[in-house]
Amino acid sequence: MALPGLTIIGESINDSVPSTHIMFEENNIDGIINLAKTQAEKGAAYIDVNVGSHSPEFMADMVKKIQEHVSLPLSIDTPDPAIAAAGLKAYDPERAGHKKPILNSISEARLEMFDTYAEQPFIPILLITEGLNESGEMVMNTTAEQIHATAKSMVRIARERMKNAGNDQIILDPGIMPIGSDSKGDFKRLIDAIALIHQDKDLSGINMSVGLSNFTQMLPSKKLDGSPVKGPLESAFLTMAMPMGLNTIIGSVNRKYQILEDDHPAMQCLKDVLKLKGIDIVMRVMFYYS
Amino acid sequence: MQEYVDKIATCVAKGKVNKTAPFPPDMKDKDGADEIAAEALKNGVHPDLLLEGCMKGMDIIGKEFSENRAFVTNLVVSAAAMNAVLKHIKPFLESGEVKRKGKFVIGTVSGDLHDIGKNLVSMIITGGGYEVIDLGVDVPTNKFLDAISNNPGCSVGLSALLTTTMANMENSVKAIKSTYPDLKILIGGAPINQDFCSRIGADFYSPNPHDAVDYLNKSVA
Repeated sequence: MALPGLTIIGESINDSVPSTHIMFEENNIDGIINLAKTQAEKGAAYIDVNVGSHSPEFMADMVKKIQEHVSLPLSIDTPDPAIAAAGLKAYDPERAGHKKPILNSISEARLEMFDTYAEQPFIPILLITEGLNESGEMVMNTTAEQIHATAKSMVRIARERMKNAGNDQIILDPGIMPIGSDSKGDFKRLIDAIALIHQDKDLSGINMSVGLSNFTQMLPSKKLDGSPVKGPLESAFLTMAMPMGLNTIIGSVNRKYQILEDDHPAMQCLKDVLKLKGIDIVMRVMFYYS
Repeated sequence: MQEYVDKIATCVAKGKVNKTAPFPPDMKDKDGADEIAAEALKNGVHPDLLLEGCMKGMDIIGKEFSENRAFVTNLVVSAAAMNAVLKHIKPFLESGEVKRKGKFVIGTVSGDLHDIGKNLVSMIITGGGYEVIDLGVDVPTNKFLDAISNNPGCSVGLSALLTTTMANMENSVKAIKSTYPDLKILIGGAPINQDFCSRIGADFYSPNPHDAVDYLNKSVA
């Protein structure tokens, strides 16, 4: 269900979803097209296409077949530059109301993914959870400041490679980790990083996105009383992050995302998590769903 | 003495770290893994039995997690309870009075920065009675080879979460096997499957952490 101000990239066409994986394996094109249509009907603004380790030709074929039936723009989702290039080249903007595709995602380790931009302009999702260190090695960013620094450096590169495109043509992915195993303060780091990006005038108007289903991965779907666990926690995250510029998610069109009141138990849980450390964070999440 | 094994197993399986820990609610204000381990040692219980309690507890929670009956939160607090016990056993492990079943070197392959799956496997394998040497993420082949040479008789686990880093896993597995043909290599991660495991010459594909412990117990312990 659509939440005003939130762009949903429908996540279902992804090789890591077991039922979708089977469709790919069985070449069940009708099934894939149905997934695209259903997500379009339920409010997705983009349809994500992730073919896992299938070939670049397979990605190109999927893009063409989905575009024959759905007029939404697509998000070409792969870390593999060859698969990305094949998907982008196969994409026809005319079939999507002249909208550019999204490319999910480019990190500092695979800047060659910008090479296709001249031929097929796209909106890149820039992965800023990892960056090059002083010796030129890729390392995981462990602080909000490092994530912010990678954002600045990646945006600078993106502008050069995208003929000075504006911030509104760039999406940053600061990375969201499962809250159920957050004994190292991942959630606080994410919120702090979003705040730093939001306050940075040079990054004004930039889009921010996360893969929201990852946030509640491996948690129970229901509390003991039968009420849902995942939807409210994901909504609580949106309630905190959207005022700081997060405006896009790769997520499920079946979730009822909403802005929660301050005293909602899921909001209370995430606010407490920001103040806690180590195992206490995990216990607070358990307390929420118990 | 057996009662301490069972008490520790219960604390570890339920994730009762210490007396002040609020979880699980039905054990509120009761002694946790930390207090029971201290009391057991004070009463002359052999530290081997404390390790046995940890293994029993982690076996229960690992199995429940693998069968989707427990959640990642349960696993994390169980590991915390186990670590509270291991803290008490540490001097005996260092002196050699308590021995583990073996050593297990683990890391996420080169170019891959995912660590959650690897960490869950590390917790369960530690709980299975093995010493885990965690090399972290983005581990190049030579770092695996160095760790293997520093830990004779170990087994190795490699994790990859990206289709693009599966090739790096293949390179690492082949390099390890060419130097250490008899060393057992376990692999796992979202894009990995049995076909891939057979093709690259790894010994075992583990779809979940609990199966990895079962395999180690059968093949190297």
